[in-house]
Amino acid sequence: MRLDGSDRPGTQDRNPGGADGEESPIPSASAAAAGPVRVEVRGLSKTFGSVRAVTDLGFTVEPGSVTGFLGPNGAGKTTTLRMILGLERPDAGTALFGGVPYASLPDPLRTVGAVLETAFHPARSGRDHLRVYARAAGISIGRADEVLLQVGLGEAGRRRAGTYSLGMRQRLALATALLGDPSVLVLDEPANGLDPEGIQWLRGFLRHLAHEQGRTVLVSSHLLAEVEQTADRVVIVGAGRLVREGSIDGLRAGGAQTVLVRSPEADRLAELLRAGGASVTAEDGTLTVSGRSAPEIGHAAFSGGIELHELRPHSSGLEEIYFQLTAGSEQFAAHDPATVASPLEASR
Amino acid sequence: MIALVRAEWTKLFTTRVWIGLLVGACLLVGGFTALFTGLAGSTDQNGQTALPPVSDPQFQQVALAQISGAVVFAVILGIIGMTQEYRHRTATPTFLTTPLRGRVVAAKVLAYLLAAIPLAILVTAVDLAVLEIYAGARGAAPSLTGDNLRVIAGAASALVIYAVIGVGVGALLRNQVGAIVGALVYLYVVEPVIAAIGPIASAYKWLPGGALRAMTTPFGGPDVLQPWQGALLLLGYGLLAAVLGTLLTVRRDIT
Repeated sequence: MRLDGSDRPGTQDRNPGGADGEESPIPSASAAAAGPVRVEVRGLSKTFGSVRAVTDLGFTVEPGSVTGFLGPNGAGKTTTLRMILGLERPDAGTALFGGVPYASLPDPLRTVGAVLETAFHPARSGRDHLRVYARAAGISIGRADEVLLQVGLGEAGRRRAGTYSLGMRQRLALATALLGDPSVLVLDEPANGLDPEGIQWLRGFLRHLAHEQGRTVLVSSHLLAEVEQTADRVVIVGAGRLVREGSIDGLRAGGAQTVLVRSPEADRLAELLRAGGASVTAEDGTLTVSGRSAPEIGHAAFSGGIELHELRPHSSGLEEIYFQLTAGSEQFAAHDPATVASPLEASR
Repeated sequence: MIALVRAEWTKLFTTRVWIGLLVGACLLVGGFTALFTGLAGSTDQNGQTALPPVSDPQFQQVALAQISGAVVFAVILGIIGMTQEYRHRTATPTFLTTPLRGRVVAAKVLAYLLAAIPLAILVTAVDLAVLEIYAGARGAAPSLTGDNLRVIAGAASALVIYAVIGVGVGALLRNQVGAIVGALVYLYVVEPVIAAIGPIASAYKWLPGGALRAMTTPFGGPDVLQPWQGALLLLGYGLLAAVLGTLLTVRRDIT
């Protein structure tokens, strides 16, 4: 599967000074034709009747990184993205792409690619769907076949979109977003409907677009695990307001450092650690230890002759923030396959 | 704008809706023309002439005016062209590609106006073919001159204007089924009822149906406008629908 979009015709001459680093493994892989674009959202507000969907929301999305747009279902993520893209009218506030609102972009598809709901005419083939928008945006028709290959829909492109699986629809939506070789990608819950393999592929693809090609990637999700594994930065929203914005590492460091320990002799180890001055909570044979580093705990266990099955340092900052947010929210989809093997699940 | 119009044609011709509408329009017009031709010169129970014979100019104009029976397909063509964006939620990628939404509606108006021209030509050809063969066999095919030509031109151009009205109605209502049902009810219930109720029947000539009748009635009359007035009125309705549809499309959220 080709991830790089390396044979985009005309990219080289359109982009002599792009942000592709010299260390890029694929020589022709370059940033989008239009160069790096920062997205700035300021004071966005929107009310539906008496419901305040979004309130004074502001954040920045930087080029060259994947920014996770995280919040529980109903937090106003989709409304925010649709306002940023000029589909819904905000009551107040602005969203600028390199200083320009979406509606004023001279060539919107070449600046911003968006994956929102997967919307296709069921009787139209994926290829024809792409050709429609290529034609409308003045992009060469051949580009439709290129992006189909890029997202792994080469053959299926000729079939009617109505026959596609949910995963294939997501891929076609992504192909539509890539048509204009945009500097910015905005994706709303793109992992929905993808199988685990597809999710893995998508993560790699988004990181590649951001890190190797210098594009600006904003991807929304209600799953912390999904964002943690893809994003460099995160914007957390709850009830339409900004909760936190920053790098994943920075937010992680903000919380308490604990160590998770599993042992068949958990009780004895807990006693030993408590005696040493550590604070320990025990649950189902798993200890959460604070006040001691992993090497210190390992050494204590070794000295005491206690068998260890797991010893894992753990920063809980991001999870604490997100748990507070989602506490009591039934919609929090803990059963989504994407959460399997996530640190979030393991920490319970 | 040319790119947007071509994109609309790509949308139109990559699904099969247009085939169904084209076939439907041809069958309807061909069928009714054949029926009228078959009944030409027949008499009712009282021995009165129900329909003039095929050689009569009045019959010829009625038979040629059957072309305008396809307006229902033209208006549905326009409605589907606009409302499919909302029905299949493709309004999102469409307006992402062209954030100045007025340009999208304008492109659709232009695209469906132009697409309705071959429809009108084909339907006209079907009508003329039926008359040439069937009416020809029963006596005389209508000549393509004078008033006959005016009826043909009026009916065919009405088809094109109705496609534009359809786009405007679709932009106003957005709901495809609602818009089509509404258009059918209007064309086949509301307008005939208004035309039939004495005190308000005079209003009929100012409605789209009255304008259409004016365009296919070469002499005008007390209850019909002059053909050119009818054409202007119908064009006005088309533009009104398109402008109102554009204003609403620009203002409303795309959800």
